[in-house]
Amino acid sequence: MKDSIAIYLMGILLISIFALSLRGLPGNPSMSELNTLAWKNNGPFESSPERGRFALLYSFIEDGSLHFSLDVAKFALPDLAISSSGEYVSLFAPGISFLVMPGYVAGKFFGAAQVGVFAVVVCFAILNFLLIRAISLHIGARRWSATLGALTFLFATPAFAYGVNLYQHHISVFLLLLSVFLLLKYSGYWSLAVVWFSCAVSVAIDNPNIFLMTPVAMYSLLQAWKLFRTALSRRSIGVFFGKILLAVTTTVPVILLFLLYNFLAYGSAFQLPGTLPSISVIDHDGRPIVEPVSGSMLSENTLNSSESNNEKTAIGFFETRNLYNGFYEHFLSADRGILFFSPVIVLGIFGFFVLYKTRPEIVSFLTAIMGMNILLYSMWGDPYGGWAFGSRYLIPTYAVLAIGMSVGLSQSWKKHALFFMLFIPLFLYSAWVNTLGAITSSANPPKAQVLFLEKQSGHEEKYTFMRNWEFLQGRYESVQSKAFVYQAFLKDTVNASQYFAFVYELIVLSAALCFAGMYREKQFSRIFPHNKD
Amino acid sequence: MQDYLKPKMGIVRNTLIFMQEVFESRGHWIVGIVLTLVSIFMFFYYLQNGLGLAYNDARSHLDIGRRVVEGLNTGFAQLGSVWLPLTHLLMGLTIWNDFMWHSGLAGSLQSMIAFVATGVLIYLFLLELGVGIFGRVTGVALFAVNLNILYLQSTAMTELMLLGTMTAGAYHLLRWFRTENVLYMVYAAFFIMLSTLVRYDGWFMFFFVAILIVIFMWKKYSYIRAEGVVILFCTLSGLGVALWLLWNAVIFRDPLYFAFGPYSAHAQQAQLNQAGVLPSKGDWLFSLKMYMYAMAYNVGAFTMILGAVGAIALWLNKRVSASMRLASIALIAPFLFNVLALYFGHSVLYIQGISGDTWFNVRYGIMMMPSIAIFVGYLMDFLKPLRVTIAGLLIFVSFFSLSSGDAVTIDDARVGSSQKNVTEVSGWLREHAARVPGFVLISAASHDSIIFSSGLPMKKFIHEGAGPYYDAAISNPDHWARWIVVRSNSDDDSTWRLLKDNPGFRYYELVDHYPFADIYQLKQEYMSSLITEPILKKIW
Repeated sequence: MKDSIAIYLMGILLISIFALSLRGLPGNPSMSELNTLAWKNNGPFESSPERGRFALLYSFIEDGSLHFSLDVAKFALPDLAISSSGEYVSLFAPGISFLVMPGYVAGKFFGAAQVGVFAVVVCFAILNFLLIRAISLHIGARRWSATLGALTFLFATPAFAYGVNLYQHHISVFLLLLSVFLLLKYSGYWSLAVVWFSCAVSVAIDNPNIFLMTPVAMYSLLQAWKLFRTALSRRSIGVFFGKILLAVTTTVPVILLFLLYNFLAYGSAFQLPGTLPSISVIDHDGRPIVEPVSGSMLSENTLNSSESNNEKTAIGFFETRNLYNGFYEHFLSADRGILFFSPVIVLGIFGFFVLYKTRPEIVSFLTAIMGMNILLYSMWGDPYGGWAFGSRYLIPTYAVLAIGMSVGLSQSWKKHALFFMLFIPLFLYSAWVNTLGAITSSANPPKAQVLFLEKQSGHEEKYTFMRNWEFLQGRYESVQSKAFVYQAFLKDTVNASQYFAFVYELIVLSAALCFAGMYREKQFSRIFPHNKD
Repeated sequence: MQDYLKPKMGIVRNTLIFMQEVFESRGHWIVGIVLTLVSIFMFFYYLQNGLGLAYNDARSHLDIGRRVVEGLNTGFAQLGSVWLPLTHLLMGLTIWNDFMWHSGLAGSLQSMIAFVATGVLIYLFLLELGVGIFGRVTGVALFAVNLNILYLQSTAMTELMLLGTMTAGAYHLLRWFRTENVLYMVYAAFFIMLSTLVRYDGWFMFFFVAILIVIFMWKKYSYIRAEGVVILFCTLSGLGVALWLLWNAVIFRDPLYFAFGPYSAHAQQAQLNQAGVLPSKGDWLFSLKMYMYAMAYNVGAFTMILGAVGAIALWLNKRVSASMRLASIALIAPFLFNVLALYFGHSVLYIQGISGDTWFNVRYGIMMMPSIAIFVGYLMDFLKPLRVTIAGLLIFVSFFSLSSGDAVTIDDARVGSSQKNVTEVSGWLREHAARVPGFVLISAASHDSIIFSSGLPMKKFIHEGAGPYYDAAISNPDHWARWIVVRSNSDDDSTWRLLKDNPGFRYYELVDHYPFADIYQLKQEYMSSLITEPILKKIW
């Protein structure tokens, strides 16, 4: 089989897998429809972060307002804020809601508005696949190894479950990877301009990205310094400052739009949504009830309510006291830990060991990104990510580890047999787990809430991915898979388990295709730094 | 480069080179000066915000030191047996001064000096390991920006003194293992001897280092030589232990009184065990888990993990001589001691969230701070290409640690089992007893913090250490005590236990009742026979 055919086949497989996994329901629902169980708990808007972001989009397009009507506010609960003028507003950074608007418009045209919105996230997931592959190739990974590394990120980590719904993670990762790619591959002014633009946009996508993008910003400053040195030697300092200024100005429109949004929505340009008083309940008369929520971690933003609303600060959400528990949750816990949800991605570390010998500066840069991501969300008061599937906050880390994975997979099979022997079963296991999450639900409770839930439901409540397995068997909800294709076309033809098995088989087939490609490349040696695609 | 810029860049480069040379040759002095300034600033910071003496134990330490020089029955016997004596002895130099006593500076001063010394020793330890300036400074900085260390160096507790003496011992041991100059062994033995007089962690250090020496000498030379050297080492470093046993034998008629006496940790832990609240006893995993939590909260979870990686990197690095790697194992002695102490039930440690809603003794986790700082400093040097990244991440975490004021030792002192709000009782005494003649009968073992917080002179109190006054007051309280402060109906309070059946106790009326103690006052009609002057001293 020729490589080009294999690549086309891979593309088709990728798109097919996402098309089959994308969550949704047909139709262009009104807000009163959206407020029903069919669209919320049993449908695509199962978690409040999705609803909160969709609410802003809906309000902006359908009502022409950044302030929520009562129906929209009820839809967004419990992640709802109230502005200083007493109006309901979104508790989330607005970036995603605006970014996915074309999807809403296009989807509405075809009679599936919500699917159009979610499809935008799928596009970013596929772009992330391409970027991981491109970065891996740039640093010396072989072509099919890089493809398999990227595939691992996409389908064998919780990134899969968050690529088929409306969360910020894939868009944040896209901006991060794009910046990394540009910084590693290019060293000109235009690449710096794009990087700084990405940094600015990322904050509008998710406020904590200001920390996540810090290593990128620092690395870009280092590049700017190198450009300065070059300009100094060429006696062109004026040109340097002119171009740098131009590069910096790319961030200005984003910052101005962000400030304008804050001003229009919250009444102050410098008010961040997370620092607003949050509303967890609206009473029968439509009045907000501002009440502190105990540390029950219902969602990523309930933490906001656990402190006095008057004392909220942007950095107050992160406490070093949480680190130890955060590490445990992200890495070892059964309800969220990488060890249970995506052990295969840990093998990416091996690639960094290999890369450290030849390109330590790149390892340093990528380690900084991972370190910042892990530390930031381990300090976060709710490391569980609310009701979530796996450790969703570490999706940027999975992406970086996938780059390491690509490098690891480029090594000699004979010399590193153990690595490959571990990779295959761990990939199969991780892909199985994460396909479960993507096909069923991303709303698993943290272990801390299970006893409470069991009291309410009167039966055992699972909190690991086995909850998704039971979901697939129809234990928890009336629907067994939330995938759009299944719901719209196939639920009367095949059962959810068969549907799941089919998607999983496509993923395994994709991985097998990569292995076949790797075999063809006969890569039995160490990395070739100048290997290009 | 443009020609006109060359001279300026040259000056900058030369200045940097000069600064580096200065730091290489005088680094430990610079570290010492900077840490001294930090130490003084932090002491006054905690003094002015009222946290300086938040730990009840800090006030008890100060009272012990004060009783040696002031009170109804002064002298070295006041050092008692509950705590080891070195810190209290050192307090004697300044605690006679009321400001030094009540500000806590008499106790903090030695902690502050130990803080500076430990920082310098971390620097020197890393230098001895051949670590570059970046790693050395990182190690010191990690130690010096740790809020728990900064708090403990500002209060009259014993932890910093222990860290200082143990780190000094480990440092000289490293030098000895590297050079085999016997003088360094003497230094190591001396500092370990001092550590055995600060806290019992030092005793473990003494035994642990002795084992390391045996391994080192036996492997390199012979058993005979190992035996000789270890005897020499133990003679000096074990002197403190021997003197303490002797002290207990002479003063309390039992060389193991400190270990099994009524006020010993063993007795306290036995009570806890009986009450079923000593879960770490006999459970390795739980003991390990509790101490790991304590370390993570004190040292910082990220720093702790980096330290563990650094330790592994050091011990597996064959470019570092085997003897130095062996010597550096001494750095983990505090970890082993604390886990063992928890397992055997000699120590108790409560972590909020695991042991209910309280903290107790969580500060024990700080004992590994210098060791971890050294390991991280080493790691910085070992992973040179990653050092900027590691430093950046450490700064990132430290920023949040400082901005959120994350000091678990302060929580331990303020909201944990270590604190008691005695301000009401001590306030009553200050208000009613300061200007009225007469003594207060009280158990120092139970209520030392009340004695301290009252602000009254030590000679106003008749306590267990007041010798004949205490005996007389217990026999005839109405002749000696105008006020009695006890925890009514609690036999843990020795004064209550001894007085509750005494007929003289009926001559008192309860004048106030508080959560931690009640105050009884001699009824007016019995005042005529009350003695208000310290006459026994004159008689004797």
